[in-house]
Amino acid sequence: MHISLQWLREFVPYQGTVQDLADRLTMQGLEVEAILDPFESIAKIVVGHVLERVPHAESDHLSVCTVDVGQPDMLQIVCGAPNVAAGQKVPVATIGTTMPGGLEIKRAKLRGVESRGMICSERELGLSEDHAGIMVLPESFRPGQLLTEALGLEREVIEVSITPNRADCLSVLGIAREAALGFGLPLTMPTLNLREDASAGDAAKALRIDIADAELCPVYRARVLTGAKIGPSPDWMRYRLLAIGQRPISNIVDVTNYILMELGQPLHAFDRALLKGDVIRVAPATPDKEVGRSITTLDGQERKLLGSDLLIWDAERPVALAGVMGGANSSISETSTEVVLECAIFRPGTIRKTARRLALPSEASYRFERGVDQVGSLFALERAAQLMAEVSGARVYTGIAASEPKPWATREHGFRIDRCNALLGLELTPEFCRTTLTGLGCPVNDADPANWRVTSPSHRLDLEREVDLFEECGRVHGLDRIPAVLPKISKSLDSVQMRDTEFGFIQNLKAWAVGAGLREAVNYSFVGTEDLDRLNLPVEGRIKIANPLSEDQNVLRTEIAPGLLNNVRHNLAQGNACLRLFEVAKAFVADETSDTTARENSRLGLLVHGARHAQEWPWEQGEADYQDVKGLIENLLVHYRLTSAANPAQYVLEAAHPYLEPCVRVELPGKGGVKLLGRIGRVQPKIADGYHARKDIWLADMDADLLRELSRATTPAFRKLPVFPPSRRDVTVICPATMHAQAVENAIREIKPKLLESLALVAVYAPEDKADDSKGERNLTFRLTYRHAERTLVDKEVDKEHTKVLTGLPQKLPVRI
Amino acid sequence: MSDIKSFLEGLDGLTLECEARRGQACSLKDLESLRVEFLGRKGKLAEAMSALVQMGPADKPAAGKKANEVKNALSALLESRQAELEAAEAQDALAGFDPTLPGRRPAPGSLHPVTLAMQEICEVLTGLGFEVVSGPEVENDWFNFEALNMPPDHPARDMQDTLYVSENILLRTHTSPLQVRTMMSRKPPVAVIAPGKVYRRDSDITHTPMFHQIEGLLVDKNVSMADLRGTLTAFVRQLFSADTKVRFRPSFFPFTEPSAEVDISCMLCGGEGHIGTEPCRVCKRTGWVEILGCGMVDPNVFRAVNAAGVGGYDPEAVSGFAFGLGVERVAMLKYGIGDLRMFFENDVRFLEQFS
Ligand SMILES: [Zn+2]
Repeated sequence: MHISLQWLREFVPYQGTVQDLADRLTMQGLEVEAILDPFESIAKIVVGHVLERVPHAESDHLSVCTVDVGQPDMLQIVCGAPNVAAGQKVPVATIGTTMPGGLEIKRAKLRGVESRGMICSERELGLSEDHAGIMVLPESFRPGQLLTEALGLEREVIEVSITPNRADCLSVLGIAREAALGFGLPLTMPTLNLREDASAGDAAKALRIDIADAELCPVYRARVLTGAKIGPSPDWMRYRLLAIGQRPISNIVDVTNYILMELGQPLHAFDRALLKGDVIRVAPATPDKEVGRSITTLDGQERKLLGSDLLIWDAERPVALAGVMGGANSSISETSTEVVLECAIFRPGTIRKTARRLALPSEASYRFERGVDQVGSLFALERAAQLMAEVSGARVYTGIAASEPKPWATREHGFRIDRCNALLGLELTPEFCRTTLTGLGCPVNDADPANWRVTSPSHRLDLEREVDLFEECGRVHGLDRIPAVLPKISKSLDSVQMRDTEFGFIQNLKAWAVGAGLREAVNYSFVGTEDLDRLNLPVEGRIKIANPLSEDQNVLRTEIAPGLLNNVRHNLAQGNACLRLFEVAKAFVADETSDTTARENSRLGLLVHGARHAQEWPWEQGEADYQDVKGLIENLLVHYRLTSAANPAQYVLEAAHPYLEPCVRVELPGKGGVKLLGRIGRVQPKIADGYHARKDIWLADMDADLLRELSRATTPAFRKLPVFPPSRRDVTVICPATMHAQAVENAIREIKPKLLESLALVAVYAPEDKADDSKGERNLTFRLTYRHAERTLVDKEVDKEHTKVLTGLPQKLPVRI
Repeated sequence: MSDIKSFLEGLDGLTLECEARRGQACSLKDLESLRVEFLGRKGKLAEAMSALVQMGPADKPAAGKKANEVKNALSALLESRQAELEAAEAQDALAGFDPTLPGRRPAPGSLHPVTLAMQEICEVLTGLGFEVVSGPEVENDWFNFEALNMPPDHPARDMQDTLYVSENILLRTHTSPLQVRTMMSRKPPVAVIAPGKVYRRDSDITHTPMFHQIEGLLVDKNVSMADLRGTLTAFVRQLFSADTKVRFRPSFFPFTEPSAEVDISCMLCGGEGHIGTEPCRVCKRTGWVEILGCGMVDPNVFRAVNAAGVGGYDPEAVSGFAFGLGVERVAMLKYGIGDLRMFFENDVRFLEQFS
């Protein structure tokens, strides 16, 4: 909201600087975002006096002018405008001036004649659309005067950000009230001087107002004017509207905008000659009838309507979308002479619904949906009618056509000063509170000193409750003057059980990942449908965004991978070839049983790509592979005590995964059955290609919620350190290359050698003799550790157990020892 | 009878000889043979000592004493040479050692700056007595808006442009639904913070459609705005610096009344608004930086949770404050990150700066 300081001063005699005003308003809760000079771009334009004009010798449309710009030297300016003439006062852009459009005025030669400046049109100055000729200024202007000063342009404008509760501040009047309050100044309303003309007619007889539902429209008033002459508004009004960023249109329409900006009351002007019958009806749209199912608004668009949209009707058809936009069939045009000036209040929620659904936000709907002062609306109507008569020469009918089925009801609230002070942490005196509330326009009845009765004014729709009055007292006193006290935080016993939080676990998980040498990525929770499709992820269960910002953000990710994979693409494009990334974030899947229709599952994603070590020497070089990512997961499971000799995690090949190949399920057998902790795998090369990755991308996607649940249940359990020495035996198993190490390990365990304490794979290698028959085989060396808890083992008993393994294995599996 | 005098001279001679020859021992092996030569069982000292048995009783003590001294002297001579040789050998062994070669560095991990800032914020607040709670990111309209005093078709909803899943389901626009969820499930007193992702339908140079917030809520008997100011002052002082000043500006949030925007004195220019003669780019000359929004819990919020939850939130009986701050904003201020979009590109060169 832009407010001109000069305009404001017509309501409040504020003499301070614009900066002080801005600071004060900001600390009162009306944040001034900027101090603007709307005419900065024409600040250097000066008034010139055309002393002489002669036709250009080489051109039939150019003139050569001698112009006095208040300097000793007269300027020779070549001008192409047809209306330039000797004796005129004109706006001149001298050499070095930059025009609003960005054009810099330079010394130039036009068809051989030197020109030292430019005589400007109104359009070139951004003052109107007029480009028929140069702007001719009043005779009284002095050469050399700055144009902005000569025209009295308002150059001090503040941009105020108004919070949704302060509808009352969406006007010069509203800001003036706050300034008056802040600086202890009186508020002066403009004097009304509306001259009615009995010979024109009686508005109440000429027009009947018919309101269908008082809740939708508590009051509708109209003034009727005749004999208006449509044309541009007077300069002062046009310049003032320009100063606050409004485009002047024509006198009648400009007045409605002017009053809206000044008093916050939206108005609408109908061409009465185009209205059918002598009635204005306020009633909802009728989507099931031929008439009333749509309306063409004055922007030429046909709008389909719902029964919840409120319309203004004449005797036959809708003529305006109430509070949002007028209809094309009744709007003011250049030939209009008869005017119906509407001034009404509409139900905020109704206006908002319509404006939003039709994507038709306007200055009017913006105010209506926040609430307009019902009591103050009459004054706005009268002032608007007066201005219209003044600027268009119209005559005003006597009286007002009006219907007010729901007059404003005053609202009274309790006000307990001790509650006020308790909430604010202040010690405000009754005197202060009384002065403040009264100053805000709230009459105070303090018959009961502990519980006042306070009436809130019609322009403060936000003062609905006692607490709203507390806020006003705090605001006027200055919230910044509230002292700082550190509260004692008391705890309930329940809260003590909250120690182990989801947040805490995730921080811990992230700390593990950092320790494991991974860098944390944070990606948007939404991706594009394409991102999921590229990974062949199922369409069922996806949660779509109904109103996405773009197609690449239109669905919530159902897995953690898409974000990390996009990071691969970005980093490779930037030349970052070695990637070790992790992310902890939620995956979202549709779930009808959830009260949010979504199941949210925290996932831990790990991704490695490129060189195993970013550092070259002294590491052995190599590309990250399955062992790297599996090692991370094994380390993770050890970190959370989820794997043990007695209950080792299982790594099981999964066939036909949508985007991983190979894909390995990480499973944890447990009491409740096997739990799927997550998957490890390589992104299918074809898919990786889509991310411009030429090397393997290895991923792990783990269920962080399950990790948390399982890790919670574990506590370190102390085992006595072994006293007697172990005895170790290695066994090398020659097995088909397709046989999994786990199968051999399982077979050894199934043989159940006594005294076996642990079992580990210590070497994997191809057989030495490269004879043809050994193709497709590999050697796995397992180390078996035997130990007795109570005595030192003798070789013989170990040998006996170990022989069971050596002889047993080839019987169980197609292997050789 | 042996001559005591020549015996003693002979011993001295041994010392002199050893002293002269030990320098020629160039290795520990040489030195060992020298030791055997002088101190060995059949060495020169032993040979000289064999004369001792023939010594008269009067001379024996003096001769014995001398023999002992010489033995010690010889040992000392050889030992000092040994030390020299060992030192030299050790030095030779080190000749190939290059301390400037790079170490075998485990891959460095790093937290994302948002996590870093979030952890820091949460640490300060849990230190002040708040507990951390979490909740869903896909939310019901009721939790996100209605219970927070934003009925349908209320203009306050414009303050947060919303991404919808369906008519009543949306991506939470703030962490404030956790206020509602917490109060519905627990009776007062409560003192919680809720960090998490939030979503808005907004994307430009200063907005990303997803960002992170931390919500704070304290409800108890007699909580006042002075408590709020005290908590936030303590918070920003620990988060930024001990001399950080706090400014409350009246503002509006539908779920707090009164509401305030909190500015802190600019950490770059120290609240001066300029550095030397240059205007400060962080606070744009104002000396203040907007950091969070806060206020006293609106009675309508208490009424909503009281009716729908476990109760205990009669606005006449309890009061509370709430605040919410943007984590990216804090990270940008603390770490000097200029461009919001960098947060979600996850460029390794960006991430590694937060190791
Ligand atoms: Zn600064």
